[in-house]
Amino acid sequence: MKDGKNTVKVNNNQNELTFFGKITASMTHEIKNVLAIIQESSGLLEDILVMPESENFTHKDRFISTLGRIQTQIQRGIDITSNLNGFAHSPDNAIAQINLNDLIQHLSILTSRFARLKRVELVTELSDSPLIVQANSVQLQMYLFTAFEILLQHIDSGTVKLIPVKHEDQILLHLHYDLLTDDQFNIISTSDQWKVLQSKMVNMGIRIVLSDDVLH
Amino acid sequence: MEELNVLLVDDEQEFVTTLAERLEIRNMNVSVAMDGETALGIVETESPKVIVLDVMMPGLNGLDVLERIKAIDPKIQVILLSGHGSTKDGIKGLKLGAFDFLIKPIDIDELIIKLNEGWKKYCESQ
Repeated sequence: MKDGKNTVKVNNNQNELTFFGKITASMTHEIKNVLAIIQESSGLLEDILVMPESENFTHKDRFISTLGRIQTQIQRGIDITSNLNGFAHSPDNAIAQINLNDLIQHLSILTSRFARLKRVELVTELSDSPLIVQANSVQLQMYLFTAFEILLQHIDSGTVKLIPVKHEDQILLHLHYDLLTDDQFNIISTSDQWKVLQSKMVNMGIRIVLSDDVLH
Repeated sequence: MEELNVLLVDDEQEFVTTLAERLEIRNMNVSVAMDGETALGIVETESPKVIVLDVMMPGLNGLDVLERIKAIDPKIQVILLSGHGSTKDGIKGLKLGAFDFLIKPIDIDELIIKLNEGWKKYCESQ
């Protein structure tokens, strides 16, 4: 591994991360079991409500629409839990072959709350072909999150698109913000934090391209 | 065609009993077991045609139970159930003779399709 202090720090903490991941992964299984019971219970209520015997039940429609909302939230919980489970398994291998498309998809769900709190919509446009990098998954996710966090510090609305593409020997990750001003671009791209991050990403074979237009 | 007897095996009691009730509403004969040993006993006495079997259980795990079920009656079709998205257990299970693999929480309509497919396969192997 090429980059200095942070890599060493992550490797020194590998056991702690693995422990943390193991417990979190185990708990995501438990949460999924809870969601499965809620899902089956609300499904059973729905089954009962559509029985002929329930035909004259006064609040039938209200119950069915409420059960629909419960089902929607169960699905939301399943998506979050599945992504959290994947995240918890990140420290399983110090170095892994990672498809950046999958990683960005998972990370966009896991970080959506950070975006929502800044009234920012986070969307992904993934590449049709796999974008494989060999890296420490925890470290890579931390760097991607840092890039996103730096951008969020300077914006408070709009849409951020994460668009990974293969370009010659490198992978470009377009961080496309639709309302990006020249001032914001200059402040972010000339900051030490951004430069350090960019150099770490380049060592992993990925370059972040901040823009307000993916065609530039 | 014989009647479809289903056995649900999962250590989450609330899950397995509620799912059983939903399948009974759909006119299926359902037995439940909360562990592998009980499931094997039901296989011997009630001859289920299709079994929905959780992979991760205390005591005998789902893959061990699958092997023993197949040794008792290879015609019985087993649908494995897992709480996580990893396909590793599914591939292992398919190699051991499982009919299919589902991730929990499950969609009832998808489960019913799988149960009917398993039943059809059971009847064809008679």
